[in-house]
Order: sequence, then structure tokens, then C-alpha cells
Amino acid sequence: MTCELLKGLRMLDLTDDKGAICGKIFADMGAEVIKVEPPPGCSTRRIAPFLDDQPGPDTSLYFLAYQAGKKSITLNLECADGRRLLTELARKSDFVVQSYPVGYLDSLDLGFDSLIKTNPRLIYTSIMPFGDSGPGKHYAAADITVWAAGGNMYLMGEEGRPPLQISAPQAGLHAGAEAAAGSLIAHYPRQSSGQGQHVVVDMQACVVWTLMNAQAFPILHGGSMKRSGVFSGALRLRRKMVFRCADGHISTLLTGGAAAASLKAMVDWMAEKGFAADWMKRQKWSVWAPGVISPASDQEIEQVHDLEDRVQQFLLTMTKREIYAEGLKRRILLSPVNTVAEIADDEQLKARGFFRPVRHDLGGGRTLTMPGPFAVLSATPLAAPQPAPKLGQHNAEIYGGLLGLSASDLSRLRAIDAI
Amino acid sequence: MAPFALEGINVLDFTWVAVGPITTKYLADNGANVIKIESATHIDVLRAAPPYADGKFGVNRSQFFADYNTSKRSITLNLGHPKARELAMRLVPWADIVVENFTPKVMRGWQMDYEQLRRVKPDLIMLSSCLQGQTGPQAMMPGFGQLMAALSGFYYISGYDPLDDPAPPYGAYTDYITPRLAAAVLVAALDYRRRTGRGQYIDVSQFEASLHFLAPALIDYFATGRVLQPQGNRSERYAPHGAYQCRDEGGAERWISIAVANDAQWQGLLDVLGNPACDERFATMLGRLQNSQVLDTFLSAHVRERDAWDLTSRLQEKGVAAYPVQSCLDLHQDENLESFGFWHWLEHPEMGPAPYMGLQHKLSATPGQLRSPAPLLGQHTDEILQQMLGLDDEQIAQLRKDGVLI
Repeated sequence: MTCELLKGLRMLDLTDDKGAICGKIFADMGAEVIKVEPPPGCSTRRIAPFLDDQPGPDTSLYFLAYQAGKKSITLNLECADGRRLLTELARKSDFVVQSYPVGYLDSLDLGFDSLIKTNPRLIYTSIMPFGDSGPGKHYAAADITVWAAGGNMYLMGEEGRPPLQISAPQAGLHAGAEAAAGSLIAHYPRQSSGQGQHVVVDMQACVVWTLMNAQAFPILHGGSMKRSGVFSGALRLRRKMVFRCADGHISTLLTGGAAAASLKAMVDWMAEKGFAADWMKRQKWSVWAPGVISPASDQEIEQVHDLEDRVQQFLLTMTKREIYAEGLKRRILLSPVNTVAEIADDEQLKARGFFRPVRHDLGGGRTLTMPGPFAVLSATPLAAPQPAPKLGQHNAEIYGGLLGLSASDLSRLRAIDAI
Repeated sequence: MAPFALEGINVLDFTWVAVGPITTKYLADNGANVIKIESATHIDVLRAAPPYADGKFGVNRSQFFADYNTSKRSITLNLGHPKARELAMRLVPWADIVVENFTPKVMRGWQMDYEQLRRVKPDLIMLSSCLQGQTGPQAMMPGFGQLMAALSGFYYISGYDPLDDPAPPYGAYTDYITPRLAAAVLVAALDYRRRTGRGQYIDVSQFEASLHFLAPALIDYFATGRVLQPQGNRSERYAPHGAYQCRDEGGAERWISIAVANDAQWQGLLDVLGNPACDERFATMLGRLQNSQVLDTFLSAHVRERDAWDLTSRLQEKGVAAYPVQSCLDLHQDENLESFGFWHWLEHPEMGPAPYMGLQHKLSATPGQLRSPAPLLGQHTDEILQQMLGLDDEQIAQLRKDGVLI
């Protein structure tokens, strides 16, 4: 079932791993998304790891996840016929999204300036690692280098060991999701004004936007925050964010002030089991918030360390599942540090039917379980997850149906490697 | 001046902390009229979270709050008071969009959930975003993005080795995923309403939205049982791939990130390093991928005395992806962000000139803009009550005396 939200709108998707999720989001919302692949296939088909560790054009897990629900056509942009076909397709489309190196599509007369002439209503979105005008606009980029350039890497990892990225690259996903938001913001006035426009997404800026409150510290308080493992904090206080438990880790927020009810509930629970110190039983937590509004005092720092030590001893006596279940009951701000296996088994996600089986045409038929809609809409439910397309699966439908090419046109184009 | 993309769209914003305010900021910076309803009785916790202007606390001094609340107006309504709820309800017919991100019982408790609001505004678009969604056994879980980042798997897969403690991403990581999706679906819903006249209710579970950023690992687990592990900076696509320590700068350590995708780039890297002798296993991509640890040791030794910025330029000349690992201070001096026009110093009535993060995308015809700094707490209370609800000074004074407007 398709979604009515963006029904009737068409997007040409010329992205790689810097933006694939943009078209996925559009497909979820009901747009027709045509993935335009070079004849050897999009580079995202070659991103490891692969399903069953079997490399192949249709088994990249990244490809299966983020090209889901799209159509695929092959098109060689490096030949004149290919460029003409893309221009024709753009004339019949509402959106183009691309993440080629800055200037590449312009050099083929397929940039914004060219395509807006053939389709003045077009929303043309370009995802660029370092923007369109700075000294790094032509810089080669990989997810990790943009993660570093945008400041997140500096804050991840342990002192004395290298800064880190998340073990599932994220920068391109932020840029792609941002491209979806930006494209739709541009789309809204276009529907009344008829005016298309160019949306430039800056991937580095998208990473800066993941830094929570860190950006202004060096300016307002002096000194940048540094990577510090499971600790985080400012104003003289390094607060422990992750604790060990019997079978893994738990994250919790041991702050008073606005979160006093949670901390009190945690201390009450610890007191029942004999883990709370006397000062903790007496403390009024609503007025205890070290390092939140002013630098922590020596006494407060000592209290935080004592609290953290005792919480650590306490949590070691239980499993993740036990702690999470009891934490929910007592309304304590904590959660398990989940693996994907635990997420797959999560009661809440099951109750909401989040994960969905999707039949794939792989190795004689295979059902893959995929994340379901990213939101639940009352009037226009998002589309259920769909398989990703085979390379060129929709050539006949798009070139024949949409552009009206004949079978002989298609075989001629195939013969000259245009498609 | 170019018009704004969402000019004329009215938004009643009950949100606080991060996910909600960042979502409505997309609308506000693009011209929508966003009224933020807040209260000193239940302050947006980011108003009391650092960093603060001049390093001094004050409810109007947090840059953490300011970054997420540009271009909005603020009214203080103590929604625990029935008269405040009545005033809020009188604003609902004006709104095209209502957004809230409390735990689900809050709006219901105030009789201001979607079913109630649509009675006075039938084509309303309302978006709720709590941690785990409006339904299901864990719907009432309270919490912040830090907990969600742990719950949704990002903490586990951040670190050097599964046997170590995790080294999680800084702060409330998933708070920076959901708003992009929420903003996209809100604008799509506006478009749908314009075509059909129909509003709707949108339930965004931050858990579910965030999991889309881990989709490949989830599909893999369901299909094969493989559990994604923290793997440092190791990659199955690039080698070398990681952060490597360069020469110190001003007494502080400096690292460079490098990713090599193919043999040509590897040769480029070797050229920049002066073609040192190296392990023959490094000659092929497969060899480098299979021996990434030895490769890291090799590369680390050869860049340790190099200047990270100079090395970046030289590697980039050879087409090798590289960039210094930047601190927040570096970001404020970064030429590429500068050239994109990312940073904005806005004059705030109490903070003075303050450094705001700017937009992450630029629209050529209807560009968004940080139209005003974050509002003071309740800065526009009188103005909104007078202009929009027609209250006079005397009525406002009485409401204030009754504790309705705090």
C-alpha cells in the first residue's frame, strides 16, 4: 500500500551514501522515487557488509535498507543520449536529489542551472560534504572525515586512545534526512508559486548539529569539551553516563534539579537493597544539581563520585532486563545499552508492530524483517517497507511508460551503452 | 527580500528540550509564526543547562536553549491553571500545526490531546513526539535523548571493542535524528492538507525514528543473527580508515581523519608520506582491509610528526579523503563552515551577541534565516494576549495576579 502524503510526486535520486536515505524517506511518504544508476550499478550496491556475507549487486545491507521502496533505472550520464534522457526525466519530475562531487553534474549540463531551464518547477537538492563555496568544496570525503570535520569525532572515545566514529557511519544519514526536510520546505511554496529552486545541504553542518550543547562552550565558558569515554559534562564535573550491570551496561542520568524525582526513586530503590549512603537518604534532590547552573563545588564532586560508585555497585547485582523493567515501574531515567538483538526483542516495538516482514526476490525468495514507518500518521499512513530494486528493474516501465520510448529505442540505447 | 517558504503558517508549540524545539525551529526559521508556550512553573530544562552567556546562569542566558529556539515568540502560560488552558484553547483555531513532546499523559491530562483540539480546529495537523510513541506498554517512559541513544543501540556500537566499556557519542545523540524526519513529515502533511483539506495526527516515536539510522544492522540481525559490535574505527570499505595522531598544536594533541577507498588513493597517500618502505600486504585493498591494525600502526608512525592541516591539503591534492579532527573551537574557525555562512552572531537582549548554529541547508529562492534570537521567557506574553486574544491591560494584570501567566 502506498502513502497518500506525497502521492503523485516524482523524485530522481542520484545520490550515493551521502544521501540515499532522502529518497527512502520520500518513498515512505508515497512519492515515486526513481534511483538513477550508472550501468555498473550505484556505488551503494557495493557497500559491505553483505547479507550472509555473500557480496553481490543485490545483497549490500546498506543498499537493502536505504534504497528500499525505490525504482531503479540504469543511465549513463557520460554520453549525450544519457544526458538527454535525464533531462527528459527531470522535465517530468518534481524533485532531483544528488550527491555527486561539486560541479560534476554542472559539467554535464545536468546541474541546477541547466535543469531548471527545462523544468522551472523543479526542486533540485545537492548534498555537499563541505558546502558549495569554501576552500574544501572539492575535497574528497568519506563519512568518517565529515564526522571529524563536523566535530563529533573529537567528543567520542577515551583519552589516550583515538577519537571515534559510531560503528555504523552516520554523517551521510544526517545529510540525507536533512535533504528530505529541505526539499519539502522548498516544495511547499513551489506548489503555489510554481517556482523551483536549488537546495544545498551542507553535510559538515549537519554533523555540527549533532553536538548537543557543546558548540558554544569554548566561546562562553572557555575551553572545548574533550572525549572522555563514558563520562560527559562541564562546569568542573565529569558525570558518568554509562554503568556496568551483570550482563552489560546501563545508561542513567544521576542529576537532581529537574530530574529530582527520578534520582530520588533510584536512591529509594538502592536504600531498599542496602546500597544507599546515609547522606543520600537525607539529601533533598530538587536542590542538588552540581555542574548544571554553576561550577560544582568540591563537596558536590565528592558526592557525585560517591553516588556513582554506589550506583555502580548496585547495578552490578542485576541484569539489563531486570533493571530496565524496574526502572520503568519506578519512573527512573535509565535505559539499557541495547544491542540490535535486544532491540529486535523489545516489547514496545513488538506491541507497536514496528518491524515488518518484507518478501524479497533474493536467492529464490527471502523474507527480510525491516524497520517499519518512522512515524504513525492518522490520515495518511506511511508506506509499509518495500524491497530495494534490482539494477535496471524499472527501465521498461520508466523509459517505455513515462518517456514513451519504443522497444527498438530501448535496444538502440542499450547497444550504445546509454542505459 | 525573498519571501519565506512557510510564511503564513501558524504553529502552536508546546515543546521543550530538544526534539520538539528543533522540529519547530525548521518551521520558524522558514517564516512560520511559532508561538512557544512555556512556563516558569515547568521551565524548559534547556533554559537551565549550560553553556551560559559570560558563563553565568540565568533562564535567559543558555546558548543550549537559544540554538533551538530562534525565530519564535514566547508566551508563559501556567497550564496547570484552568484559565491558562482556556487561553491556550483560544489560540488553537489560529494554529495550522500543534507540536508537543511531553510524555503522552500530559496533553491528555490537560484535555488538550488531538481529539479535543480538532473539535475547535477540524483540519489541524498535530505532531506528538515522545521517546517511545503514544501507544504500547512503554509509552509513558520519561527521559531524554541520552537514554534513547542507549536504548536504540547507538551506545553499544560505539567503542573500541565489545569487551571494553562503550565510548558513546556525546550527549543526547538521537535528539538530532528525529527532528529531521519530524520536520519533513510535518511539511508533507501541510502539503497534503492544502490538496485535500484534511489535517491529521502524527505520532513520532523517537525510538522508531532513530532506528532508521541503524537499519542495515537490524535487517542483518533478523536475517542472520549477527549482532553488530563496536569496532573502533575499522571499516569494511576503507583501509586505512580512522583517526591518526599528528604533531601537537599549542601543547594540545591534534588528530587527522583519513579514509582510503582504492589503490590509487593509497598510492597518493604513500606519495605524500614520501614513499616509505611498507609491508607488502598493503599493496592491495584486500590486504589493507585484512591487516588494518598493522596498517594503522604504520600510518600512525608516519603522520605523528606531521602538521594535520598541511597533511590534509596534501592528501586532498591526491584525492584522498582527510580532514583534521576538529574541536568545537576549531568549528568556529573552520573556513568551509564560514564560507557556507553557518555561524551567526545574533544580538540577544540579555545575552548580548551570542554564537548561534545556522541552517544546514540553503534554499536559493526562499532562503530560511535565523529571524530573531531565542525569546526571553514570556517575552511576548502581553503582545500575544492583546493582539491575538484581544485582552486589555487590566485583564492581563488580573491573570498575572491569579498565577495564570507564570
